[in-house]
Amino acid sequence: MSDILKVENVTLTFGGVKAITDISFNVKEGEICAVIGPNGAGKSSMLNVINGVYLPQIGTVTYDGVERRSINPRDAAIAGMARTFQNIALFQGMTVLENIMTGRNLFMKSSWLEQGLNIGRARTEEKVNRLAVEKVIKFLQIESIRKTPVSKLPYGLQKRVELGRALVAEPKILLLDEPMAGMNLEEKADMSCFILEINKEQGITTVMIEHDMGVVMDISDHVVVLDYGKKIGDGTPSEVMSNQDVIDAYLGVSH
Amino acid sequence: MIYRETGNFVTNYFKDREIFPLKFDKIIVILGLLVLYLYVPTTSEYTLSAHVVPILAVGLATVGLNILTGLTGQLSLGTAGFMCVGAFSTYNLMLRIPENFMSLPVALLFSGIFAGLVGVIFGLPAIRIKGFYLLVSTLAAQYFVWWFFNSYAWFLNYESSGVVAIPPKMYDYWGLGNLLGIDMQGYPARYVLALTVCLALTYFAKNLLRSNTGRNFMSVRDRDIAASVMGISVPRTKLLAFFVSCFYCGVAGGLYSFCYIGNVDLMIYEIDRSFTILFMLIIGGLGSISGSWLGAIFVYEFPIVFTWIGDTIFQGAFNTAVVENVSNMVYGIFIIALLIREPGGFAALWATTKQKLRMWPYPH
Repeated sequence: MSDILKVENVTLTFGGVKAITDISFNVKEGEICAVIGPNGAGKSSMLNVINGVYLPQIGTVTYDGVERRSINPRDAAIAGMARTFQNIALFQGMTVLENIMTGRNLFMKSSWLEQGLNIGRARTEEKVNRLAVEKVIKFLQIESIRKTPVSKLPYGLQKRVELGRALVAEPKILLLDEPMAGMNLEEKADMSCFILEINKEQGITTVMIEHDMGVVMDISDHVVVLDYGKKIGDGTPSEVMSNQDVIDAYLGVSH
Repeated sequence: MIYRETGNFVTNYFKDREIFPLKFDKIIVILGLLVLYLYVPTTSEYTLSAHVVPILAVGLATVGLNILTGLTGQLSLGTAGFMCVGAFSTYNLMLRIPENFMSLPVALLFSGIFAGLVGVIFGLPAIRIKGFYLLVSTLAAQYFVWWFFNSYAWFLNYESSGVVAIPPKMYDYWGLGNLLGIDMQGYPARYVLALTVCLALTYFAKNLLRSNTGRNFMSVRDRDIAASVMGISVPRTKLLAFFVSCFYCGVAGGLYSFCYIGNVDLMIYEIDRSFTILFMLIIGGLGSISGSWLGAIFVYEFPIVFTWIGDTIFQGAFNTAVVENVSNMVYGIFIIALLIREPGGFAALWATTKQKLRMWPYPH
């Protein structure tokens, strides 16, 4: 299969701090790629570079055949990238339904005047997109909370709503920043099922940052390991597990 | 028939989106409209001129500020300035464009657009700055607009006193005065115009709020980075919010001058008014359209009711200074109490009350 995403020689610095140093890796179409590494390894920064929240000093990101030094987050969304955030970035003042509906904003073509007057395209769009949203709500089994303000939901459900918001945009590639952080075993199992189903049934390429090694080794096809902003491992889960650098980074080395 | 929500099931997603999902609500709305259009204009001129019309004008400005501050999260202190643009534009459009081509409702629409454009210009810094820093830009709008209209007497048609009374003929639009045989300058006619404009714009705001544009506004308020990652253009959304908000303020300014006080006067669009409207917004509840109206009614009526209490119970013991100071203190106390206990303002109190009544008398 072809590579949908190619990261080449990306370096990102904040002042004097090198967050990412010369990292390259490829993501194949249709795979689940896990990015792992100890805290502060530059994993989230990597995702931010991929969808344009950060601008790398050196390097390019090739997505869907277009090579770019930087991409604006909006263009990334239009090109079919959707993502979730490490520390949930839901719209706290809105309900679950509104949050997920916001994920459909690129499908809404009517102007604000039509929407204000509630005429023409605005009416039909609201209906058509609601159906798409309801499909995702059903898939994630959150029907009963659709009218609840997200700020009142427990953490696990918020994570699920955020996944729904990303999923409803019908992305080609889904970037998940620690989708299972802080969850208990059952919630992790649920979330893994959702991610696998999204990947296998809907064929959406998934790049995921995750700390739970059990989950990573079970569900991902490809693992990239970062440490101190450098790539130290890249391959299938079994390859990475036997990589000496990775073992050293996670378990420490005796000096 | 009793008012209840049980037993009302929506059977498709489109029905779920109705503004008034209950049949009873619809009946109340129709009755309310009948009262507003048929009964209220027949009440005394005093009621209309001292209570109803000014509340309509400032309430509309509060709705406008709500779109900017409550929905989109952009703080603004320029409300009175934008109202001022609206009032002066309405006057000048009526004055300078031949009567055949211009009428009061059309002038109000265009002055709203002017105010909106001025708002967009002063909203440009919002693309780069947030929160309290943005207050500086909108404060600049307030002072700039005031200075601008103060400096160029052309806008007041070289009226030396600084106040220009609105000529009666400006009120007569579309030949309605002759057609219906009513005095278009009278308060009932002014009231009906203001009411129609306010209802139409409230409906517009309500629709905007529950459509994609409203969700974009709120997403920019809650998490702008997440919004941009989802493909929402944050700068465009902020500027649109400035435009729509200032459109409302501009129309409100036009209504305030034309329908309420009947003259164009710079002094009433000073910074105090911006603050008053901000109080109305906070007390009423950020982000709620009906809250804006509740807040406007409370803040506007409080001094009047307080004076009335003083006059009837304490034989006129409260002079205007006392009333003003007490009012300001009460607003302050309300704002502090609401910020601590119920940041959603009156609108949230109303929602809680409704919820409690729904559960009553078994609150579990």
